Amino acid sequence: MKQPLYIKSACAISPQHTFRATEFPLELVSYDDGKMFVIDPDYTKYVSPVAIRRMSRLIKRGIAAGMQSLEDAGVQQPDAIITGTARGSVTDMERFLTDMIKLNEEALNPTFFIQSTYNSVNGWLALQTKATCYNQTYVHRGFSLELSLFDAQLLLADTNDLQNILVGGYDELTPEYFFIRDKSGYYKKEIPASLSLLQHSDTAGSIAGEGAAFFVASNEQGDATCAIYGIQMLTTPTYAELAAATDILLSENRLTKEDLDVLLYGINGDSRYNHLTHPFLENTSGNTTVATYKQLCGEYDTASGFALWLAQLISKTQEVPKEVVYRSGTSASVKNMLICNITIAGNVSLILVKSI
Amino acid sequence: MAERVVVTSVGIISALGIGKEAHIAALRSGLSGVHYARHLQSVHAAELMLGEADLSNDELAVMNGLPTGDNGYTRTTLLALTAMQDLLKTTDINLLKNEPFAFINANTVGGMSKVEDMYLDLISEYTQPENIKYIDTLDCAESTQNVADHYGLKPFMATISTACSSSVNAMLLGARMIKQGVVKRAICGGCDALSRFTVNGFYTLKNVSRSLAMPFDQNRTGLNIGEAAGFCMLESESSAIARGAKILAVLSGYANTNDAYHPTAPSPYGEGAYNTMQQAIQMAGLQPNDIDYINAHGTATLNNDLAEGRAIQKLFADKMPYFSSTKPFTGHTLAAAGVIESIFSMWSMQEQTVYPNLNFETQMEELTISPVTSLIDGVSLKHVLSNSFGFGGNNVSLVFSSK
Repeated sequence: MKQPLYIKSACAISPQHTFRATEFPLELVSYDDGKMFVIDPDYTKYVSPVAIRRMSRLIKRGIAAGMQSLEDAGVQQPDAIITGTARGSVTDMERFLTDMIKLNEEALNPTFFIQSTYNSVNGWLALQTKATCYNQTYVHRGFSLELSLFDAQLLLADTNDLQNILVGGYDELTPEYFFIRDKSGYYKKEIPASLSLLQHSDTAGSIAGEGAAFFVASNEQGDATCAIYGIQMLTTPTYAELAAATDILLSENRLTKEDLDVLLYGINGDSRYNHLTHPFLENTSGNTTVATYKQLCGEYDTASGFALWLAQLISKTQEVPKEVVYRSGTSASVKNMLICNITIAGNVSLILVKSI
Repeated sequence: MAERVVVTSVGIISALGIGKEAHIAALRSGLSGVHYARHLQSVHAAELMLGEADLSNDELAVMNGLPTGDNGYTRTTLLALTAMQDLLKTTDINLLKNEPFAFINANTVGGMSKVEDMYLDLISEYTQPENIKYIDTLDCAESTQNVADHYGLKPFMATISTACSSSVNAMLLGARMIKQGVVKRAICGGCDALSRFTVNGFYTLKNVSRSLAMPFDQNRTGLNIGEAAGFCMLESESSAIARGAKILAVLSGYANTNDAYHPTAPSPYGEGAYNTMQQAIQMAGLQPNDIDYINAHGTATLNNDLAEGRAIQKLFADKMPYFSSTKPFTGHTLAAAGVIESIFSMWSMQEQTVYPNLNFETQMEELTISPVTSLIDGVSLKHVLSNSFGFGGNNVSLVFSSK
């Protein structure tokens, strides 16, 4: 399990201009209403005109991000397709459910039902690439993408062949979904402009986001500029548990806190987790540059995909974009990066990424 | 050579009841659990027969030591808790508290069975306060987290959703984690409760039957939807032996492939099913003629039974094993189907019995093979194959071998 998971390509569709971007977006988009919807690219390149008409946004997004990341890695057909999504196509679920209730279970459209199935993006990606290989969909809330990456590691540990695995995470925001989740206290009552989210970490809740991020992960280095060396998933950890898990992850890779060049810190501005996030930041070495990303993509269950996209970009460009720097560190390198993603439910994932 | 993965305990609830005794009694007597709905409220209730578990939500809650009424638990979770309770009758919970393990669960619609009844209230301006706690139960991980919390366990957790192959994919992940030495034990399976959402989904796709499902029959008219939960304790053989655990079966082969053919339909010639079965048998180090029994996916839809039947006929052309679909007993329990049929397959080996494919009358024109239609006792089954094929082309086959 110790072999690196090389990231040969990364593709993100997000509330920022990230799709097919070769450098950090020059212009950042700020959202004022607490709902960060993605900037949809032109999907007609990725889906046939017949299919696209009935296809919902999440499905198109998953296909486009998946196909583009394959193209970027120069892979025609992946050796496995593994994705994660907490909620799948929310739009389709809402349509089918609301129609069912309002039409009293008569004359329903099966397309919404089919597309609401959690593995439908995976099915489409297999169809599009004619990939009859291993195909898996994780639906475990804030760890859906992490489990997909973990599964990819597990697959590659079990083979001597060089393989390219398409891994992705995607979740969708809808006005209705926002409205419902807001009742659980997930989002801020006084909504800041998204780019200044983290200056409002003294109030409860975050702001909502969505996105799709896909990667070609491999046991072959190829042209990869970074690789994943370890993943940890912690369900509602205390600070002590988080600190201990971080130490273990680093020491397993013969690293200390001082060796961390970049912390991609997935704080979401929710004051309810300050007891975790404040001490974690205080105990981060002065060497480490701390960068944040939830102000760019919002809070959603597979937001760590945006962070991994950013990590890959940093490894490629060999610099941390100044727009995301939260606290500068003394290290001039961007070799050792740690993604620490805090979900809206207080779960934390850690992904150790090294530039090559 | 990685070590073998064995199954040491199982837990189950379905329309046939709870636990091994109730299930074996029903499977032996040929008594189906499929009937008109008693609990599910649907305008189609009078026309659809369902594999509905007998117990109400309140009865399930009491069984699991929970308060009745709006207790925050969905039927999906209540079924999962009941299956776990059954598994823990033959597994010391301290084993799970003292050593790391994985809990890998699966389902297709999370707590939809509950949320669909309050959805209009949730999207209204003034939601009833008692409904707020159900908001997060609509996702698939709610049952996983609730089962772990209920028993005070902190395992490595994952939830999988690949339609009708979900729970066997959970078993596949658990087996792979054990083989790689990540954990010694994994409790794997799935749960799905009947919901109007699912019933209407299949209804609009026109693949539900108005009568009892007839798998592999020329005149089949579709499936009966069911509900169930099942879990298997997978374990490395050495750790099972070390603690003196009784070994039910060896999970000797598995394969996960994709049809890459169509979002909801298999290729009519069953290439996907063929490849999956072949790969699983190959992984087990076996030949097709080593397989003694196939617990088929056999949903009784036009598409599945044609594709699966053709694939079985082709792969096992030299020596046709016994095969049957046990779905007429339980209904098609979707995410739970794979694990409960795996459990039936292992019991088949243990009891030396082939359980029948109920309701079969007429030979399919496209096939020369036909399923076992009445109970067969006293047969030595060394290797059995269990198939689970899902929407999105997600196919899984498992091979179980006697130890």
